[in-house]
Amino acid sequence: MRPALGLCFAFLLAAGVEAQTGVVLELEDVVDNRVSSADPGGFQVQGGLELRVKVNGSGMDKVTAARVIVREAKDDKGTSLVSKPNVPDFYPREYNNGTLQVAVGQPARNATSVRMKGTIELYVPSRDPGASVKIANALATLDKPLSAKALKAAKLEITPLSREGYAAAAKARKITEKDIEQLRAEGKKQGAPEKEIELAVALAQAFEGMDDDVSDTAVILSGETSDFDRIYRIEVLGEDGEPIHMTSRGTSSRGESSLMTLNPAQPLPANATLQLMLLTDKTRVSVPFDLKVPLP
Amino acid sequence: MKKLLALALILFSNAAAAQQAAKVDVAVRQVNDRRTNGSFSHLMIALDLPQMKSSEVAASRVLITSAVDDSGRNLRDPEAQEPELEANQRLSMGIKDDPPMPASVSVMLMNPDRKATKVRELRGEIELLMPAKDPNSVAEIPKFVSTSGKSISHRALKANGIEIALLTTAQIEAEKNRHAEAKKKEYAELGFAGEELANMLTSFLESLFGVDETELLARIKDPNKRIQQITYIDAAGEVKPVMMRDEEGLVYLSTWAGKPQVDWKMRVSMKTSKNIVRYAFALNDVPLP
Repeated sequence: MRPALGLCFAFLLAAGVEAQTGVVLELEDVVDNRVSSADPGGFQVQGGLELRVKVNGSGMDKVTAARVIVREAKDDKGTSLVSKPNVPDFYPREYNNGTLQVAVGQPARNATSVRMKGTIELYVPSRDPGASVKIANALATLDKPLSAKALKAAKLEITPLSREGYAAAAKARKITEKDIEQLRAEGKKQGAPEKEIELAVALAQAFEGMDDDVSDTAVILSGETSDFDRIYRIEVLGEDGEPIHMTSRGTSSRGESSLMTLNPAQPLPANATLQLMLLTDKTRVSVPFDLKVPLP
Repeated sequence: MKKLLALALILFSNAAAAQQAAKVDVAVRQVNDRRTNGSFSHLMIALDLPQMKSSEVAASRVLITSAVDDSGRNLRDPEAQEPELEANQRLSMGIKDDPPMPASVSVMLMNPDRKATKVRELRGEIELLMPAKDPNSVAEIPKFVSTSGKSISHRALKANGIEIALLTTAQIEAEKNRHAEAKKKEYAELGFAGEELANMLTSFLESLFGVDETELLARIKDPNKRIQQITYIDAAGEVKPVMMRDEEGLVYLSTWAGKPQVDWKMRVSMKTSKNIVRYAFALNDVPLP
């Protein structure tokens, strides 16, 4: 049995018929992963405090996704564990039984507890009728921005790409020698060890290599990173109106340019509909939390 | 009498000292105190052995005799079993040792107290499997797939009292029949008969000795438990790890690397009295993260 360590009661700020009330942050696991190394720039030498939490409450069946934003975390010795709030992506409630992971810095060795404050954010698309935008025959015209009143109103521009369009976009995103020099210079400026800088360069090159590896059946969407940040999820709907299962999804961002790749498990119908689930102000419910975490 | 006892003690302690392992220098590479109320709580200390090359160590284990933090907490798990020799992944995956890396081992202990700041004492023995110390440490059998049906002949296998024979399809069928007969007798003695007995036998045989193309079935006799690891090596020299699993007295050799090809070699690494070397080590005041 894995007993819940504690409960954090939070108060709902928004109210309504379908409102989520009595929202509770339930602490499942605490991992204080403490690491020291003779080679600080080596692999797996970064420790930290990780929590596994569950968000519970009434009306949660309407909640599609959730996230926890930690604004303040301090151990009982006064060590601050958050330099700036980390805003993770919304995490689907259907994944991992709704368990969310929260990571902050390392508490002092002799600390016995950590107090965390922040907000639980819930994504409730049913609160905004405009949050779901469906575009019929969306993949019939490629390399031109999707056309829909709702997208225009939301000032979102997303473009489905042809293979040629994708090749051109990938080429424009190729990492140049100049980019690598900039990355190294930035690393040095921030005082990062040489090994860490070279690891970052290798990672950037590896991620770029992934751009080349796109299947023939993949749906590729291009847009600005800030636009994709305002979309919770994109589905391709089959003729029955149900989302087609994707074997993998990924978004690769380079500065303000992002490419989203969806790999369908089955061939797409010619008249496939795209469904964009938007993150609007109305769809978000913010609940403050104040949690005391006993350290193991 | 007292004099005799004292003399006996001196003689005994000298004999014990003569058997003591030589000391080896160790350097702490990493300390990981993973503390959790969930699973996998431990203190892991990774040690480098600067005088030993990683390329010379096929496997290792650490036998701890004392581990105490500065709060006085004993860090040895009283319920832990004696560790097994752990393969050197760099070596078994065929990763080139360039530049040469020192051998490394890791010690798994229980979490120290939160108030502790260091491991006051860590003491024990490091056991290394060093194949170069014995010419009979490794047997390499070229084109081993073609030996199916016959006992594999190799000087090192013989020296270690090991017999390996890969089974042909006909031999697997014969084994199945032999087991079926034995099972039939066993079920009959338990009172099963007729259709029920037939169904039970069918279901037993369905799961018995099913071999896919990445697997080989072998009869292995290793009375002294000398086999440490079996790997395959393809024509380009790439090492393919092999998993071993026992079933009804036979051993499955399976690999994720696909169907064993006719030009592959089988490498059998063995523990012998000459290639297992023990070194004593001691560390004090290892800072805790």
